[in-house]
Parts: sequence; C-alpha cells; structure tokens
Amino acid sequence: MPNAQLQQVVLTELAEAVLALDEERAVAAAQKALHEGIDPYVAVQEGLLSGMSRAGKLFEEQEYFVPELLVASDALYAGLNVLRPHIKADAFGVPGKVVIGVVEGDTHDVGKNLVRIILQTKGFEVHDLGRDVAPAKFVDKAVEVGADVIALSTLMTTTMVNMDETVNLLVKRDLRERFKVIVGGSPLSKAYADKIGANAYARDAISAAEVVKKLVQQPIAIAG
Amino acid sequence: MAEGRDELSSLERVALALQYKKGDRVPTAPLVCGASRRVLGVTYDRWAQDSEAAAASLIAAQELIGFDGFLCLVDLSVEAADFGQEVIYPANSTPYPNFDNPLIKTAEDYYKIKKVDPRKSPRMSRVIDLVRRLSEAKGKSVAIMGFVYGPLGVLSQMRAHEALFKDLIRRPDAVRHAVSVINESLVEYTKAQVEAGAHGIVLDPLFSSASILHRNTWTKFEGAEAKVLADTARDAGAMVIIHNCGNGVYFEDVIEKTRPVAISHAYPAFGSQTWTDHASKWAKKVVTIGYSDPAKTGHVLTQDEILEDCRQQIETFKVAEGGFILSTGCEFSPGGNLLSAATMVKASKLYGRYN
Repeated sequence: MPNAQLQQVVLTELAEAVLALDEERAVAAAQKALHEGIDPYVAVQEGLLSGMSRAGKLFEEQEYFVPELLVASDALYAGLNVLRPHIKADAFGVPGKVVIGVVEGDTHDVGKNLVRIILQTKGFEVHDLGRDVAPAKFVDKAVEVGADVIALSTLMTTTMVNMDETVNLLVKRDLRERFKVIVGGSPLSKAYADKIGANAYARDAISAAEVVKKLVQQPIAIAG
Repeated sequence: MAEGRDELSSLERVALALQYKKGDRVPTAPLVCGASRRVLGVTYDRWAQDSEAAAASLIAAQELIGFDGFLCLVDLSVEAADFGQEVIYPANSTPYPNFDNPLIKTAEDYYKIKKVDPRKSPRMSRVIDLVRRLSEAKGKSVAIMGFVYGPLGVLSQMRAHEALFKDLIRRPDAVRHAVSVINESLVEYTKAQVEAGAHGIVLDPLFSSASILHRNTWTKFEGAEAKVLADTARDAGAMVIIHNCGNGVYFEDVIEKTRPVAISHAYPAFGSQTWTDHASKWAKKVVTIGYSDPAKTGHVLTQDEILEDCRQQIETFKVAEGGFILSTGCEFSPGGNLLSAATMVKASKLYGRYN
C-alpha cells in the first residue's frame, strides 16, 4: 500500500502526462504506478482519465483544439495499455454499449473519434466501426454486441441520407425498439434527427457523451 | 407581395454587391454544384470527371433556378487526386479519398510529394476546362468563381484528417514542407482558372476556424500560403473570395492574410455569438456570402419556411448597405430539393429589392 502523498504525486503525473500530450511520460507514470503498488483502477480513474477530462474541459474552453485532444487521447491510451492488464475484469462498471461509425460514403472521422474517446473515458463499451460504414453493418454489429445505442456520424449533406437508411433498416428488421439512435455531424440538426426518426441529436463531441448517457437511462422515445 | 422585375444581369448584380453598391436586388448564389447533375440526369462520377457534362449540368441548373453565380467546386478530392491520392467515385454521391490507402502513409511521405502541373493533370485540368466552358457560355452575364482548396486541406485528403492533425503537433516541419510544395501547384492552378475566365477565385482555407485549429496554428501552417494564393489571383486579375464552412472562422487572421472582397461562411465569425452580432462587427468590413443552412434548406424546411429564413437573413444584413449575397453557408446539398434553391432566388425577388 503506497503512502497517500506518493500516490497523489503519481496520479498527478499521470494526469499531467495526458495534458502535456506526452505518450512516453504517460507510459513511464503508469509503470511507476504499478511499481509503487497503486491500485491500477485508481491510477486510470484518478490519473489518466482525470487528465483526459481536463483536456476535454480545455477543448470546451477553446484552449485545446482538435489536434491537442487527439494527441492527448494517444497519451491516455498509451498509459491505459500499461495499466489495463492489471485491472480486474469487473472493476470497470459499464454504463452502456455503443456502436459508432461514420455513415457510408463519408470518410470524415475526426468528430466520430472524439465522441468515441469521450465515451470511453466515461466508461462506455464502444464498438467503433470506422468510416464509410454501410447501414447493415451498423445493425448487425448492434445485434451482435447487444448495444444500447447506435451512434451515426457524417460531415457531408450527401451522405446524411444514409443515416435515414440505417433507421429504416432497423424498422424493416423489426429492431427499432431495441436500439436508440443518436446522430451528429456538422450538417445535422435536431430537425433532421426528428425527420428521420432518430432518438437524439448531438451538436458536438462533448454533448454527444452526455446525450448518450441520458439515452441509455431512458426508455425508448423516438423524437418527432 | 410581388417579385418585381429584374433590371440587371446576374454578373452586374454580383459585381455591384462586391463593391458595396446596391443593384436591383440582393444577389443570390445557393452554391449549387454537385446538385446540378440531377438536372440533366448525369451520374456523380461522370459529373466529377467530365467537364463537358459538368458544364452542361451547371448551365442547365442556372437557367432553371436563376442563381447569380457559378461556383466551380467539384469536390475536395480534386487536387489530391492529381498528386496521386486514390479516389473513390460513387455513382450517386460525392467522390472521396480512399483513406484505407492514403498517399501519405507515414510522416516521411510528406517529403515525397512533388509539384504537379494542373494544366496537364487529370482532374485539375478538367476543372480549368469547366471554368473555360462556363466562361464561354455565360461569362458575360453570370459571375464565374473558380475554386481552390487550401494546401492544408489538400494535404488532409492525402493523409486522412486525424493523422494530419496529430502530425501538426508531432511532425510540424514535415507538414510545412508538404504544404509549401502543394502550394506551388495551387499557384499555377489559380492562375489557370483566371486565365480560363474566372471572375473570381474562391479560396477555401477550411482549417482557419475555431472548430478545428487554434488561430495561431492555422497561421503557422497555412497563413503564408493563403496570402500567396490570394495575391496570385489578384495579380492575375480576379477577385478573391474566401469560403469556409467551419464554425467560428478567424475573420481577423484570414482577412489580414488574404484581403478578400467577400467571405462565404456558414456560421458567425469567431468571437460573434449571433448573426446580428456578426453583422454589426463585420458586415461593412467584408461582403458576407451566406448563410442558409444547406442541410435544412435542402432536406428539412418547407418552401414557406425557406422564404422566411431568407427574409430574416436579408433583414439582418441590411446594415451591409448592399454588401450581401444570399447563399447557403456551404455547397447546396447534392441530394437536396432543387426547388429550395429556386425558392432562395424567389426570396431575393420578394424581400431583397433595393428601392
């Protein structure tokens, strides 16, 4: 059992490594946490994720921008890779399962990746299908993993219609009541989400995580 | 309310607006680009690669809808394709780079990019030809705007966005090198479009917005190149217009670097919370081209709602004293309702008369 002062120093170093966008520093701090006998779950929650949460806050305040948030997440994952094998499987409570991807015909995945990162830092089990994802792939994966939410992203008006197709496919397969659907991306709006029968719309990556959190706690209620 | 009678050509209307002079009414340019293919039933892959088909489509769309300016934006992969990026051409959707096979696979590949000749390269030469065809057919009556994607944007189409953004932090020198090489080709591309008859060049420095980069980061990686492109267009005899559909465009920085006559944008400038706030700060400093939401206009709003939306925009930009062009904030949705573009023109005739 490490003394409280040393534990706090290491946790602070883990958080600072993420904020400093420094993968090597995050790995070193994670190894130090293990060496000093700090509970790896605590090291993740109060170290790495605390740092990522602060990075997210700086993003909201426009101190950090997209590149900084992406590199901070690399530092987070680098530290996580060291600590995760030492954490008991049931230590992480999973608030919900999300299948996420960029819809067919679109390869702009930065926004989707930011949502994935933020959801993961909040403990969600995220199945990322990547970009240019066909409607059937979203539906099949959601069924396979027993997802709570399907999250659809696009940056282009041309490919917005593929969100509609995914929702329609859920209806066609009689699965619409089983999954909640959230849509997001620059051309989207609540009005469009309502029009296609999605459950929710999120205007940015930060709010997406909050909306997903609320969605998994709510009974199905399709917008519009 | 009656629509009134037009007294000027589209070109005259746009030219006056860009000088803060009031013509017969507010010019309207809903950025109908890829959507034009549906007027003649051309597939997207053909429209994007066949300048004759693209020109015929755009001309037919202009005659159908009555918009005041052509924007020669084909898609954002044009320049990257000519540097060697593999591009996917769907039959019914916008072409896009195959990011499973990016041209720049590692940071070292930034140094392998070589200058290309846009007058001979496959896709840029076709855009130049598109400008030429539009100029020959409509250049005396309708404004023709060439289009150049900024070098950092072009690079994003060859590296994939996330990898590029990380490289801005990890390998800034490599990115700077590639941006500089790409810009040499874009300078020639700019000149060639002006020579082909473009009245103006629309330069798209997409990453100069707070939704993506810090203002200093944009200036560091693309500011100097944007200035060179803008100076090139002006020296060749064309007007410079900035387009950026990002949220919170850094107007001060972009204007300082490029000195545009107008900025086409989808959101209020960085530092402005509302369009009214934006108009009070910027409407008299640079002509606004905006700001209908293309997705809502093309897919959600009714025609009556579009009329009201446009009326409010015209009202908001009355403070511009003529320096306003009604438009969508980004390309008109290629799959959107074309009647909605015509309704924007109708709104100008109903609510945008200047006397």
